[in-house]
Amino acid sequence: MTTTMDRRSLLSRAALGATGLVAATALGSLAPETAFAAGSQFADAGQPDPNFAEGLITGRNQDLLQVQGSDGRMHRIQLTGVTSVWKLRPTTIDQAKIGDGLYARGVLLPDGVLAAEAVWVNIVNLTVAITSIARSGVQFDHHGQKVVGHVQSGTTAAVYNGTPAVSDLSMLKVGRHAQVIGAWRPGTNEIDIATIYTSN
Amino acid sequence: MGSEHVAAAQPLLIGLLLLWSSYSKFRDPEQADRTALPRLVGESRAKPAYQTLAAIEALIALALLAPPSWAIEAVAAAALAVGFTGFLVYSKVVVPEASCGCAGKSAKPVGYRAIARALLLLATAAVATTATAGWWSAGPALGVLVVEAAVFVMLSAELDRYWLLPIRRFRIRLSHPYAGTASSTAPLAATQRRVLLSPAYRAVDGMLRSDIHDYWDDEDWRYLSYFARYDGRRATAVFAVPHGDTTPESVRVAVVDETSGLTLYRPTVLATTG
Repeated sequence: MTTTMDRRSLLSRAALGATGLVAATALGSLAPETAFAAGSQFADAGQPDPNFAEGLITGRNQDLLQVQGSDGRMHRIQLTGVTSVWKLRPTTIDQAKIGDGLYARGVLLPDGVLAAEAVWVNIVNLTVAITSIARSGVQFDHHGQKVVGHVQSGTTAAVYNGTPAVSDLSMLKVGRHAQVIGAWRPGTNEIDIATIYTSN
Repeated sequence: MGSEHVAAAQPLLIGLLLLWSSYSKFRDPEQADRTALPRLVGESRAKPAYQTLAAIEALIALALLAPPSWAIEAVAAAALAVGFTGFLVYSKVVVPEASCGCAGKSAKPVGYRAIARALLLLATAAVATTATAGWWSAGPALGVLVVEAAVFVMLSAELDRYWLLPIRRFRIRLSHPYAGTASSTAPLAATQRRVLLSPAYRAVDGMLRSDIHDYWDDEDWRYLSYFARYDGRRATAVFAVPHGDTTPESVRVAVVDETSGLTLYRPTVLATTG
């Protein structure tokens, strides 16, 4: 916990310009070849992107995930200290559990393991109609399928008419169409709502 | 008002229901593709089968509505209702994602309400077979039809938007379940959007390798950190977003080497890059 606090305070000071700048060559380094020198492979035309994987987590050994893709391919995905993990909100790498679905982007290593840089766990993007609103959840009609969306206080945000997101959900209306970004609860038709885009 | 009158009144309701169902099938025959018909009779025969069914429905409906009244009309309606029920149960079991295609546009898969409606139709048709007179001689028993029609409406998913959604809208206007969710803290989605639209983000976009890794609030600022690569080495990009100032230029960024604690890059004159 202390390290997190130290880390955050270091980063905060850096962002506000309270620490010294080290590299005098900063401007020179902005060339695109430097920015892209990270070693990502580019996909061949017509071939799957080597730096991307999706599927269901079928096994986890420490931070190495065994993932079965929806196209039947198997992936091995290595989570590291520099992997960002989204599961309803930015979270820690231990939150990727067996049974979860994920999308991962990273760098494919020579041994076939994808070193993940960013992982989105259980993320869904649904176009729905709001059919009912209750304290226990918002009911959606997703092209004829019933989906229950749960509101997570402090996380769930709403975007009305494209204006900046707010935590105020009291303008949600029954019958309106909406787009929902959320985290699926595996094995159910329920999601936790991250952001709901609708009109008011 | 005896049971005989009630039985005599039924053909009116059944006839009107079948006309509605037939009309919506004729109006939009493409609905056939969403039902279990392609699976049952084959892709190419689904639409003709759907239209044939609509024609049969219309014939039976008109026969029921127009004099004279023959018991055979009610028997035909009952047979049709048995067919509907069987088809819906088949749909639910074999092609669960198929819609009912009963009446009106609905992408909803066959549910228990649709099956209950077909059973109710079967029950009314069965009662109608005992009728000895036409519905025009049913008298006050026609009032029973109002109750039956209401039950049919409640079982029709196609009609929800005309009565169920307005009721729910009204209830929410009285008291919204999420009335108390407004808070002064901006959600992360709002901060993220401000970052994405800022000149600071454009200045470091090419270096970012991850999505948001960490975020925290401190006094007047919210901070977002991303993993980045700078000059071929690992770094952390940290954005500072002020709570008060909402201009895109107010967002600041620094690229930091966490192991040494040194700032590697900090764009200074951001306004000109925007």
